[in-house]
Amino acid sequence: MAKIQVKKSAVTAAKKVTAKKAASKKTPAKKVAAKPAAGKGPVKLTLRAYNVGFGDCFLLTFEYPKFKRRILIDYGSTAAPKNADDDYMMAIAKDIEAQCTDADGVARLDAVVATHRHRDHISGFSTEGDNTGGVIARMNPGLVIQPWTEDPEAQPKADEATATTFTGGKPDAKAFIASLHNMNRMAGAIAEASRDEHLGLSTKMASQMGFLGDNNLPNKSAVVNLMEMGKKGRAAYVNAGSKSGLEPVLPGVTVHVLGPPNLKQTQSIKKEKDRDANEFWQFAAFWQFQAAAGESVDLKVPLFPAAEAHEVHAIPANVRWFVGRAQKIRGEQLMELVRSLDTAMNNTSVILLFQVGGKSFLFPGDAQIENWQFALSQEPVKEMLKSVDVYKVGHHGSLNATPKSLWALFEHKHETPAPDRLTTVVSTKPGKHGSVQSHTEVPRSTLVAELQKESEYFSTQDLLKSQICKEYEFEL
Amino acid sequence: MPYYPSRKITIIAQDPSIQVGGKIVRTQIEIPNEELEPGPRGYRVQVVDYDSTTNTLYKTVPRPPNHSDDLPADPFATMTDAQLLASPDFHAMNVYAIVMRTLSRFEFALGRRVAWSFQGHQIQVAPHAFADANAFYSPDDQALMFGYFPKVKTKGYVFGCLAHDVIAHETTHALLDGLRERFTDPSSPEQAGFHEGFADIVAILSVFSMRDVVAKVLDPTGRRVMMNASNVTLKALRESILTGLAEQFGEELSGIRGNALRRSVTLLPGQDYLHDPEFEEPHRRGEVLVAAIINVFLEVWVARMQPYIHPDKTLDRKRAVEEGAEVADHLLTICVRAIDYCPPTDLEFCDFASALLTSDWEMYPKDLKYRFREQLYKSFNAYGIVPTSKGEREPGTWDPPPQGDKDHRVVYDRTHFEEMKCDYDEVFRFIWENRRAFKLSEEAYTRVQSVRPCVRVGDDGFTLRETVVEYIQQLTIRASELKRLKIEKPEGMPKDLQVTLYGGNAMIFDQYGRLKYNVGNSIFNAERQSRRMKYLWQYGFFKPGASKMRRFASMHRKRMSGWGQAGGAAVADWTAHEEQVEQPQECD
Ligand SMILES: [Zn+2]
Ligand SMILES: [Zn+2]
Repeated sequence: MAKIQVKKSAVTAAKKVTAKKAASKKTPAKKVAAKPAAGKGPVKLTLRAYNVGFGDCFLLTFEYPKFKRRILIDYGSTAAPKNADDDYMMAIAKDIEAQCTDADGVARLDAVVATHRHRDHISGFSTEGDNTGGVIARMNPGLVIQPWTEDPEAQPKADEATATTFTGGKPDAKAFIASLHNMNRMAGAIAEASRDEHLGLSTKMASQMGFLGDNNLPNKSAVVNLMEMGKKGRAAYVNAGSKSGLEPVLPGVTVHVLGPPNLKQTQSIKKEKDRDANEFWQFAAFWQFQAAAGESVDLKVPLFPAAEAHEVHAIPANVRWFVGRAQKIRGEQLMELVRSLDTAMNNTSVILLFQVGGKSFLFPGDAQIENWQFALSQEPVKEMLKSVDVYKVGHHGSLNATPKSLWALFEHKHETPAPDRLTTVVSTKPGKHGSVQSHTEVPRSTLVAELQKESEYFSTQDLLKSQICKEYEFEL
Repeated sequence: MPYYPSRKITIIAQDPSIQVGGKIVRTQIEIPNEELEPGPRGYRVQVVDYDSTTNTLYKTVPRPPNHSDDLPADPFATMTDAQLLASPDFHAMNVYAIVMRTLSRFEFALGRRVAWSFQGHQIQVAPHAFADANAFYSPDDQALMFGYFPKVKTKGYVFGCLAHDVIAHETTHALLDGLRERFTDPSSPEQAGFHEGFADIVAILSVFSMRDVVAKVLDPTGRRVMMNASNVTLKALRESILTGLAEQFGEELSGIRGNALRRSVTLLPGQDYLHDPEFEEPHRRGEVLVAAIINVFLEVWVARMQPYIHPDKTLDRKRAVEEGAEVADHLLTICVRAIDYCPPTDLEFCDFASALLTSDWEMYPKDLKYRFREQLYKSFNAYGIVPTSKGEREPGTWDPPPQGDKDHRVVYDRTHFEEMKCDYDEVFRFIWENRRAFKLSEEAYTRVQSVRPCVRVGDDGFTLRETVVEYIQQLTIRASELKRLKIEKPEGMPKDLQVTLYGGNAMIFDQYGRLKYNVGNSIFNAERQSRRMKYLWQYGFFKPGASKMRRFASMHRKRMSGWGQAGGAAVADWTAHEEQVEQPQECD
């Protein structure tokens, strides 16, 4: 494996960024067999990991001898970095624009990747409010990459999403996507319920529930903007093994789409073949019922409006204990629901592996084990994953997005600094997701400890207020 | 004033989607009569109609209130379908009646009072607990919670509290957990699948013991008197259950329960399901047990109808219906009774098979009327469930216990049987005095868990007096000590990890105080203990903080929402980073 100079630095927001020269180029990168036509590839890759608080935003700039190509992977935030100014997202948009501006003064963004439709990954594409999405759109990204579940052709019609009759037929993409929409609907009801005082949620639990609920709302403006940008240029709705669409954009770079699997691929790794149709139907029906239940119930109107009810403050003593318990159960149930729909949405994440100049860069979005399972069942993919040099830690460092079987594959892990030591970077903000007590906090301390021990680890939470991002430069 | 021990009450036979001629199939059931408080709240069941979604506590009053021992009328019999669906009073009474009926069926089958799993005599039941496609038993809250949710295709709601099978299923969890508290311990996929499977068995048989439901299966129009003999074959019955009942079950309620009935008639005998990796998942495994029992129900039903077939190849539909309901009812009784003959720890289906055969043998040694045991034995084997006991007297039944070896005879004369029927310490003395004869581990902590005298009554009026005792043994050692007990240490398990082994027996005494059965799993059963260790280690149950078993609530939920979720192996994969297998509940 080639020895590569890696230069990392935190970049201050205030000053315009000047291209950093690598300290030395005494060891030119060796070409690996997979690399196409020598001399046509980029010579350098700059990666900026922006501090979006809780969210993801990564700008990749591939420097070719005569031009640059820029890819933006996600641009979203659900919780501001600590001490951030109100317009931190706009500041990031402006910085992206500056990074993308060529000598002729024109800002050019070549591709946008929206790994999945969670707010913490796409909120920046929204054209509402201060219109950060407009800044991105102005740079005319010629390609928008999204998971197959976002393909407008595959979307169920409005009435299908809310009233499809599931007849126990074979799994089909539309029904699956309808389930995702139903999850969005349910999320709205849950976000609403998190503000219900009678559920007696602790402040912490209410804020967690609200956080997850909000993150799973439909994000209409951002979704529309992504779709429009895709229409103007090209749109690639990808699944494991499909083309990324980046081929013409990045000569000399091989980009593999490792996830998400489509329904067929998911089934191919399941043992329980004959049950799939049935289970699939249950899954789809379940979310349909949930969404209907969540939405139909106007919290102010009881199920039996004509029936006599006790005044809220006059609950008989003999049932008070039980009423309190019932409220608590409801809170827990909603929490469980919002967690599972959050997971399902994470598992639609696009997983991209960039191979260039003998180096590999892995960007898995928020993919969790269920998404990874397909990729990890493919021997050639496992082979490629062994040589990952840079790993964007999945799902903000949560425990279930870095499967141990994936982590075990990485061969560049070292306990001590080494020239080819694995670089890991996580974009996260603690205290938002999961809880320490239940060992589900994000980022998960045990995982972080492992990353720190075995790799060159950095978390955006360690950036100072004056630092807009962490910048890495990789000579290729 | 005369005292009426039971009353009749109208319920919805299965659920509102099961209709004949556009009308909901209803039935009248008999439940214990008691003076009810508003709710209704009775001596074992308290309905609290609180809706946590809308924060409403309904004032439900049993109509008419029976503030005496009078025989109350059945006020709902004359109401229209629309009135029933719109009446929270009826909903509350429907759920109360079915929980009480399920409890009564258990008490009748076991020949004694049956406690809930928790301290306390009254279970709380919330018929409209939340707007959610869910229903569950929550031991911590001493409650059964039933959700409601809007129909997707038409107007109106689906109510868990109006679904007979859902109510019976949840009630069974609460009763089984009380009868055998160790069945929720992590042990094997079979023990994990048993709770669900058994709850489904009780639910399905309970529904089939309603004549009106069986009639609907055999004649969806409700108009015919005679039926064709070609409709009473095994295949035809499976088909008509599927089309006449199972489909509708699925229609509205699969959001709550999946479709156990459908699975049970489509999983055909003759396949080695239990060795198929596909059936390692606990729920799937449980379905195999359900299918085996429902298969027996069908076999016996078909056999019982043969004598009534006329030479012109027709038979009286009413007769066929009665036979079906009776067979279901009888099978339900012996299935529940079988729990008493099950080992108290680490249950596997093969143990339940022997227990079931024994429970029937005890009650009907001749087995002339139904030939159940023949069919049970055949069916269990056809589904790959080979009874644990070979059976000296009859295939598959438990054998009487050895009276010890020549050095250690079972001794009775140091204890008094009259005392043993109620005194735990006296029973413990009996066990202690016989620890060698019973081949118990002397290092293990040993405890009597229950002592239950019972009087069981057969269909023919025959009574059987037995006392059922459960005791358990518990031994906590370091993994490195497993070898000494010839138990295999799972690969990768640290030597100094503390592991707990369980053993335990169900002892059945006859009315004279002699031990009839002493069935259980021993700490010294190295083969089983090795298997259990391996399973628990593989699935991460030894990590500190691993939960006991997924709560019933999330078990049901998991089944429904879990499509696309990783299976056990994958979960075990990432838990290596982690201390636990299951995402626990948020609690502050
Ligand atoms: Zn995220
Ligand atoms: Zn996400």
